[in-house]
Amino acid sequence: MFYFFLCYGSFLTAQTEYTASNSKIILVSESTTLQPKDSLYLGIKFELEKDWHTYWENPGDAGEGAVIKWSLPDGVSTSEILWPGPERIPVDPLMTFGYNNEVILLTKISTSDKIDFPIELNAQVSWFTCKDICIPQDGNVSIVINEGELNKSNDYAEIKQYVDKLPKEFLENYKVEKLDEKYFLQSTLEKNNFDSIYFFPREYGLTDYVENQIYEKNENSFSLEVKASKTGMKLPYFDGVIKAINSEGTFFFDVNFPLNIQNEDKNLFLLLVFAFLGGLILNIMPCVFPILSIKVLRFIQYSEDSSVETYKFGLSYSLGVILSFLLIALILIGLKSSGEVIGWGFQLQYPLVISILFYLFIALGFLFMSNLVIGSQLGNLNSLVKVNNESFESFLTGILAVVVASPCTAPFMGSAIGFALLQPSFNSILIFLSLGIGFALPYFILSIKPTLLSFLPRPGPWMETFKQFMAFPMWASALWLLWVLSGQVDSDTVILVLIGGLALSLSLWLLEKNTTEIKLVKWILRGTAIVLIGFSIYIIPTSYSTKKEIFTKDEIYSEQRLRELRNSNQIVFLNFTADWCITCKVNERVALKTQKVQKILKRESINYLEADWTRKDEMIASKLEEFGRSGVPLYLLYPSKGKPIILPEILTEDILIKYLLEVR
Amino acid sequence: MKNKFYTVIIALFLSSNSLIAYVQIDEISPDFKLKNSFGDYVSLSDYRGKKVILEWTNHGCPFVAKHYSTGNMQSTQNYAKDSGAIWLSIISSAPGTQGFVSSAKANDLTSSRNAIPTHVLFDSDGTVGRMYDAKTTPHMFIIDEDGRLKYQGAIDDAGGRGFMSKDLLEANNYVKKGLKEILQEKSLSIPVTKPYGCSVKYAS
Repeated sequence: MFYFFLCYGSFLTAQTEYTASNSKIILVSESTTLQPKDSLYLGIKFELEKDWHTYWENPGDAGEGAVIKWSLPDGVSTSEILWPGPERIPVDPLMTFGYNNEVILLTKISTSDKIDFPIELNAQVSWFTCKDICIPQDGNVSIVINEGELNKSNDYAEIKQYVDKLPKEFLENYKVEKLDEKYFLQSTLEKNNFDSIYFFPREYGLTDYVENQIYEKNENSFSLEVKASKTGMKLPYFDGVIKAINSEGTFFFDVNFPLNIQNEDKNLFLLLVFAFLGGLILNIMPCVFPILSIKVLRFIQYSEDSSVETYKFGLSYSLGVILSFLLIALILIGLKSSGEVIGWGFQLQYPLVISILFYLFIALGFLFMSNLVIGSQLGNLNSLVKVNNESFESFLTGILAVVVASPCTAPFMGSAIGFALLQPSFNSILIFLSLGIGFALPYFILSIKPTLLSFLPRPGPWMETFKQFMAFPMWASALWLLWVLSGQVDSDTVILVLIGGLALSLSLWLLEKNTTEIKLVKWILRGTAIVLIGFSIYIIPTSYSTKKEIFTKDEIYSEQRLRELRNSNQIVFLNFTADWCITCKVNERVALKTQKVQKILKRESINYLEADWTRKDEMIASKLEEFGRSGVPLYLLYPSKGKPIILPEILTEDILIKYLLEVR
Repeated sequence: MKNKFYTVIIALFLSSNSLIAYVQIDEISPDFKLKNSFGDYVSLSDYRGKKVILEWTNHGCPFVAKHYSTGNMQSTQNYAKDSGAIWLSIISSAPGTQGFVSSAKANDLTSSRNAIPTHVLFDSDGTVGRMYDAKTTPHMFIIDEDGRLKYQGAIDDAGGRGFMSKDLLEANNYVKKGLKEILQEKSLSIPVTKPYGCSVKYAS
C-alpha cells in the first residue's frame, strides 16, 4: 500500500511544464483519462514572451520548426505533429511562417487493447524561440494518463481551439494553373464566402514567400495569384495550406494539386520542328514568295556563268534572315522581361506598323511592275536594294524578306510563336533560330545548286512577265493589311492611308519616268516625288487602337446582335470579360481560346460573342445584372431555343467542351 | 511607343549586365566591393579565374555556431582551399543586430575558431546580401572561374527540423560536392537547395 502510494506519487509529480529562456512548454491533454482502443489529442503548448515566435513545418525563409520525440509505454502510438495553420511573420526583407506568442502543436495518441494504466507519456522537445535573434531550446515534459472514460480536462477548451486551426479538407472545387511564373489557384465559393485567402507552401522552391499574393473574389469563385519561386525548381505538387478569412472567422484548408511539369522538354523538340517547317512554308506565302522568286531567278542567269559563286549570296542571305529573326527574338524577350504581356501578332496592333507595311507592299508591287531601281545607276533592274557588293545585297535581301514576312507570320504562326514566348528565354531563341533556318534553307540550297532550276526555260523575256505578275500577290497582301487596319481605325483614316498609297505610287512613277536630260525639270520632278513620299509618311496614323485584340464586328457583343442570332435560332456563347479580370484571362488562355475549343466552336457553328467590360459599359452592366451579377466573368451558352445556360466561373478545356457538345 | 521602346532597351541592358536582383544559376554573378576585416577593399572581380565561395555568416546564430563548433565549416573551408577556391565570409548584420562585429572581433573569431576564410567582409547596409538574395546564415554560393553562379543554398542536407541534434559529419555537404563536380567539369547535380539557418539580420 505504501509502496503503491510512493509509486503513484512519483507519477503525480510528472513534469508537465518546462521553462526555458523567453519561452515555456507545457504538455496538455484534452482528457486526463483514456481507455484501451481509444485516442485523444495531446499537445505541446508553447508560451512565448510577447512578440517572440516559433515556426511552422515550413519555416519560410529562415528558422526551423520544432521537433517532438515521444517516449511511450507499450500499446501506445502517436501521430506526427499536427501543425495548426500558421501566420505570416515578416522579417524584412524575408518572410517566415510560424506562430506568435503562443501555439499548441498537437499529436493524436492511440491505445491498443493491451495496455497497463496509468501510462506516462514523455516528450523531448527541441525548438527555436525567435524574435530578432533565435535561441535553440530543449526540454522534457511528461504527463500521466489514467484509465477511464474520456473527460474534459482543464486544457480541453484550449486544445479544441487549436484542433479547429488544423487544416481541413477543402471542399470546394479547385484547380491550379501555372502561367508565366505565376500560379493561379482558382476555386468555386459555393459553400463559403471568403474575404481574403493566403497560401502557405509546404515545400521550399514552390512559391516566392515575400511577394504579395493577389486575391480576386468574383460572384461565386475566386482566383489567387501567387508568384512562383525564383529558384527555378520544379515541384510536382502545389502543396500547402490556405488561410481563409470571412466574417465568421479564420479557416485553414489543405490544398494539393498536381502540376504539369514534364511536357516542357518534350514539347521543345516538337516546337523546333514546327518552327522549322513553318519557316519553310513562309517561303511560299504571298508576302514573301514574289521577292524570293525574283531573286532566285537570277541564279538561272548566273548558272550559265561559272565564275559567279552563287553560294556566297546564299550564305549572306541566310545570315541576314537568321540575324533578323534573332533580333526579333531579343526584342520580344526584352519586352517580356519589361513586364509586357505580348503574343505574336502584337506588331499588327499598331496602326503605325500596319500602315508602313502597307506602303512597303504597295511600293514593292509597283517596283515589280515597273523597271525602276532605287538609289542605283548600275542598271540591274532586278534588284530593289541594289548596292555594289552583291553579297551585301543578298544580306539586305534577307532582312527585307523577314520584314515582309512579318505580317504573314502573325495569323499563320501566331499561337506557335506565342507559345515560344512562354518558354524560358533560351528556348525562345532556339525556336526563332529554327524558324530562321527553315526560312533561309530553300534559297540557300538553290544558291549552292542553281542547276536545280534547270527545269525552267532559259532566261528571256518571260522573266520580266513573271516579275510583273508577282506584283499582284504583293498588292493582295497590302489589301489584307488594309483590312486589318480597318478593324482598328475609322474609315476616314483608312481612306487617308489609301491616299498615302496613291501618293507613294505616283512618286515612284515620277522617279521611273524621270529620264529627261534637262536638269531643272529633273530636279523639279524629283522634288515633287520626295514631297509626295513625305506627305504619305506624314499622314500615317500613329494613335493606337485601345483594343488589345482585333475582333471582327461580328464577335463584339451587342444586345441587338444577340437578338439577331437568337431570332435565327443560332447557338451563342457569350463571354463577359475584362482585361483587368485575372480569372477571365486565365480561363481564356487555358480553355476558351485553345485551338481545340476554337475548332469545336467552328464545327458546331456556335457563335462567339464577347462583351468586353474593360471600360464602363451600361449595356454590358445591365446584361450582367439580368443574371444577378455585378462583375465578370460570366459565361452564357444560349441553346438554339430556350433559356441560356450559365457556365461555371472557373473553366477548364474539358468542362467547356462538355458544355459546348451538350448544348446541341 | 517611346516609353515602351526605352523599357525594352533598359530590359536588354539589365539582363546583359546582371544588375537584376536575383542571381540565376549559370549566370554571371554581380560584382561587389566590400571592406575586409583589415580595412582593405576586396572585389569579387579580383578573383576572376578562381572559384569563389560566398558564406553568409553571423557568429551569434546557433546554426552558424554549430557549424563552427563541430568543425564542419572549417573542414569545408579546408576542402575549398585544396580545390584552389577563394573563401569570402560575408557579414550582412546591420549595426546593433546579432552578428555585427568590429574588425578586431572578426579577426578574433577567425583565429579562435581556426577558420581560414580568404577574407571576412562587412556588408552592414546589406547591399550585397540583398543583391544575392542571401536569406539565412549560413547561406552558401559557389561561383566558378568565369564568374558564373554554380550553386546556392544550404551548406549541407542537415537542415530541417531537428538540426541541433544532428551529426554534421554524417551530412551530405553540398559545397564540397559542388566543388568536386566543378573540378570534374561536370554540371552540378544539385544547383539549388533550401538555405537553412537564422534570418540574415538586415537593416530594415
